[in-house]
Amino acid sequence: MTAAAPRAEEARLADAVLGPVWRGGRFFAPAFALTGLGTIVFFLLISYTVVRGIGVWGNNIPAAWAFAIVNFVFWIGIGHAGTFISAILYLFEQRWRSSVNRFAEAMTLFAVAQAALFPVLHLGRPWFAYWLFPYPATMAVWPQVKSPLPWDAAAVSTYGTVSLLFFYLGLLPDLAAVRDAAPERWRRRVYGVFALGFRGSEATWRHYRRAYLLLAGLATPLVLSVHSVVSSDFAVGLTPGWHSTIFPPYFVAGAIFSGLAMVLTLLIPARRAFHFEDIVTRADIDRCAKLLLVTGLCVDYGYLVEYFLAWYSGDPAEIGQFFDARPRGPNAALFYLMVLGNVLAPQALWSARLRKNLWLLFVISLLVNVGMWSERFVIVVMSLEREFLSAAWADYAPTYVDFGILAGSFCCFLLLFLGFLRFLPSVALSEVKEARHAGARGRGGE
Amino acid sequence: MTELLLAEFDGPEALARAVRAFGGARIPGLDAHTPYSTEVVRDALGLPESRLSPWVFGGGVIGAAGAYALEWFLVAHLYPLNVGGRPPHFPLGFVPIAFEMGVLLAAFAGFFGSLAAGRLVKLWDPVFECEGFESASQDGFWLRLGGEALVRAAPDVEGRLRELGARRVQRVEASA
Repeated sequence: MTAAAPRAEEARLADAVLGPVWRGGRFFAPAFALTGLGTIVFFLLISYTVVRGIGVWGNNIPAAWAFAIVNFVFWIGIGHAGTFISAILYLFEQRWRSSVNRFAEAMTLFAVAQAALFPVLHLGRPWFAYWLFPYPATMAVWPQVKSPLPWDAAAVSTYGTVSLLFFYLGLLPDLAAVRDAAPERWRRRVYGVFALGFRGSEATWRHYRRAYLLLAGLATPLVLSVHSVVSSDFAVGLTPGWHSTIFPPYFVAGAIFSGLAMVLTLLIPARRAFHFEDIVTRADIDRCAKLLLVTGLCVDYGYLVEYFLAWYSGDPAEIGQFFDARPRGPNAALFYLMVLGNVLAPQALWSARLRKNLWLLFVISLLVNVGMWSERFVIVVMSLEREFLSAAWADYAPTYVDFGILAGSFCCFLLLFLGFLRFLPSVALSEVKEARHAGARGRGGE
Repeated sequence: MTELLLAEFDGPEALARAVRAFGGARIPGLDAHTPYSTEVVRDALGLPESRLSPWVFGGGVIGAAGAYALEWFLVAHLYPLNVGGRPPHFPLGFVPIAFEMGVLLAAFAGFFGSLAAGRLVKLWDPVFECEGFESASQDGFWLRLGGEALVRAAPDVEGRLRELGARRVQRVEASA
């Protein structure tokens, strides 16, 4: 093969990935307008909540935790697939990850940004959120570090920061590529500043590679620890439906499951819109679908164990929670949505033929997203609606502010994701080139 | 005035041959610029492994130990409070935050260490003055000869580079 052939192929690849950065796309303007409008409504409702207090939400005793905590757990779960795909698959040398890892990492960052908002708003007086951190306070009352709630603050802020560092480090060679290929001077300057003077020198690459590997190694236990800590918020409490040792692994599996579903939800339309068919191949999507099935089965196993433990405990409150409140209680519809999305829908992925149908895969990924949000509602709200004393039972009803903030957080997430697609290379260009070069060498028997 | 000589090759294999021909990274002033990290060029240069790992480990240990000490100082020493019968010094409860802070500081050490060791955050470099060097982040593989490497390579370094397959050879001023 002549040297010109791979160069031409690399030029085509660069044009495909960087094209949206230079040229944009017809759908960007309406998409930005729509999600921007939703984001404005989101911040208006947040402002209304901060001014009036969380009495404008539907949560009240006994369901003191409701939409805000459901949304927090949902978004932080979505954020897990990014690190899973980037870090864990990197450590296992799964080269196919390079076509989807940038999508997943960006999704992680924006999901964690949404997640971090909710516990702060739920404080009621968000301007005191800094009390969660051990700042030098004159009142000498310190965060109670034996409670899982300050663990959450440490885990989520660490996860967000490490994910950002990992994302930015991976982006550096591609920012340099954008800087060098930019048609206008102002773009070269702006991307040049963010590329930090990356020159592709081998003296840089050797430290870069080591740092990337070490960050992948550091991010891997974070994937497992963050949702374990989040699950401790529930498992440490005595509430029926929460007090279970299965929670940490069950939450981690659920997080990766929901995150992979969101990756597919975003990847399938973006791949089509940007004509990334050669980069994000059918085989890559098939692998994501298989991972979705496997993690879905882990979640289903978690459901089975939860039900078994409730029955085996012989505790009437636990048995009532699982066998009566959930399937026959006031919000039973969400329980059945959970079963549909997380148990039934992913079973279609056993079939290789159905996995090849991208429309079906997209619908399944949406159903899983809905199912996982419902699961968090089932765990958080239904458990609180039916605690030990039947005299204290009450039903929960969300308000328009709850629904508005939930919808707004999706708009804000999509707005940030659109910004990523428009202004940054959405596929890890240097990694794809490296994987292709390694593949070509392997085929050449060198 | 010092000079740099930059030569562009079509692929990593051609660049690796040129790197070997000029003595590899043992010669000060010789480096390679590539759009992605490649094993062939790495082997040809023969640079030692990065020594970031001990720094990252140190960052992790300092983060974890510092967080644990702070937790003890705050809730076991300054304001001991009995919550749920747990002792003021409760190692199991102190672990999650200590672990998270260990990971955080290790990640900071890895990230900022790689920027410092890789000589990044330097927005201008003489190589940017070279015409066509933009391809180093796209599809071009560049050899950089400066200082002792350039002195040793003379005379007729351009001719040798062209024999080795360089498609473009350029000299730029290295003094900032």
